[in-house]
Amino acid sequence: MKRRASIVLLSTAFASVFAAVGAHAADLVISAPNWPSGQATANILKIGIEKTLGLAVDVKPMGTMNAFVGLEKGTVDVQPEIWRPNFDDLVRKYVDEKGAVTLAGKSVAAWQGLCATPSAAKTIKSIGDLGDPEKTKVLDTDGDGKGEMWIGAPTWLSTGIEQVRAKSYGYGENMTLVETEEDVAMAAVDAAVATDQPMVFYCYAPHHVFQLHELTRLEEPAHDAAKWKLAPASDPLWIEKSSATTAWDAAHFQIGYSSALTAKRPEVANFLEHADFTADEVTQMSYALGVERQEPLEFARKWVEQNEARVEGWAKP
Amino acid sequence: MSAVREKKRTSRLGRLGLLLAAAGIALGPLVALAQTQIYDAKTGKWVDYDKKKARQLYARNKQLPEAFQRQVVPFRTAEAPGTIIIDGNQHFLYLVQPGGKAIRYGIGVGREGFGWAGMVRVGRKAENPTWTPPPEMVARDPNAAKWAAGMPGGRPDNPLGPRAMYLFVGDSDTIYRIHGTIEPWTIGLDVSSGCIRLNNEDVIDLYDRVDVGAKVIVLMQGAALYKGV
Repeated sequence: MKRRASIVLLSTAFASVFAAVGAHAADLVISAPNWPSGQATANILKIGIEKTLGLAVDVKPMGTMNAFVGLEKGTVDVQPEIWRPNFDDLVRKYVDEKGAVTLAGKSVAAWQGLCATPSAAKTIKSIGDLGDPEKTKVLDTDGDGKGEMWIGAPTWLSTGIEQVRAKSYGYGENMTLVETEEDVAMAAVDAAVATDQPMVFYCYAPHHVFQLHELTRLEEPAHDAAKWKLAPASDPLWIEKSSATTAWDAAHFQIGYSSALTAKRPEVANFLEHADFTADEVTQMSYALGVERQEPLEFARKWVEQNEARVEGWAKP
Repeated sequence: MSAVREKKRTSRLGRLGLLLAAAGIALGPLVALAQTQIYDAKTGKWVDYDKKKARQLYARNKQLPEAFQRQVVPFRTAEAPGTIIIDGNQHFLYLVQPGGKAIRYGIGVGREGFGWAGMVRVGRKAENPTWTPPPEMVARDPNAAKWAAGMPGGRPDNPLGPRAMYLFVGDSDTIYRIHGTIEPWTIGLDVSSGCIRLNNEDVIDLYDRVDVGAKVIVLMQGAALYKGV
């Protein structure tokens, strides 16, 4: 992480110098989110476009919110992973209302819900089991008789919705919901599995945690839009006012790009419309960067080399 | 030091019991009991593992129960080698190693747990650290009051032992340290005043393996430490 931070600082310094003398203008800018598969995809797109279309491409780390602003302003051309339904608010604003951003047609299937370690899965198999205090007491780590469950990082959009689900299903009554950084929660999963402890927690796929550990996804009723009534998150009381008593809607993510590209660089828009990844590939990317700690650019070079014909196909009309 | 808090930890006991049973010396999977127990191989009985018993067993065996001894264990994680993961609930500290392994050390933690969870880093390391008792200890304990200005390192009665690693958030020192102990039998118990204690051989071993800047993850320990909703 430190090295990555240094690279960012250096890049910023160089960018300032070049900006001052008016040199080095990349043809395209791809934003890279802070999760591993997003970084891998950003770099795969960079290498693929450079190789097949002969353009100079920069990858710049930034959050999704800033990426959307940049896509509208023209300072960013591509965002490699736009998660739905998580970023639906941004999609409504920038894609549907302003037309500034276009979502590529291909998408990767994703999933989010609750997972159990092997020890927990012996007792807790479904979301209904979470409502049974006799079952959830195995998740108790402090002796108060109530099990604990990680529901996400404090800043995530999904974390508030997990609070709504706990309230609506009712297990919020007999469990203590925990919010903390993902690294802490994932290390807790590692320690729980290493000592065969039961643990239940929010999880999402594709994610390398499924490569590291044998986890069980808790069963729950299929998503029913009629049973998801979420008040706008801008309302301070939105959690109290919301209700959700089924599984999350099937998630997916897509590449997003500046709508201006269609006219300015149609060959790039064509490339992005053809770029496709499977969920397994995204999990492998997450594992390669997140666990094996491969450098994103180096990983991307190898990936493009190994998938040469496929990437060349993305560039064809 | 007060007695071990009597805290119901049945779920942990069950899990740790299985682990230790496999190791030959065990904490008991005793669902009805409210405190740590270990299996005494000489008498063939399960006994409470409180401070008194821990001291007796340590005097007899000259070592900790096997689970709390330093050992290499399988540990699959996305964290980089060199990262420290502290599981105060189970009294283990893991130092992540390459190849899906970790070195696991037994630890003693505070009477009320570690007090927080999150990510910090080793900001400073010290050999033979000076011990400065906290003001509340100075106020209640005449022995500590003698050392209000700091007890020099290297003394056999220095509670920090031979090494200390100071935990920082960014560039700020927290009040928390990983250090040694003059009461090695307390490893595996919740009896210190908040820091993480290893026996002295282990803290020297860890000190030599850990670099300043190492990432330290303190796991969630007990619901009171969480941001409950």
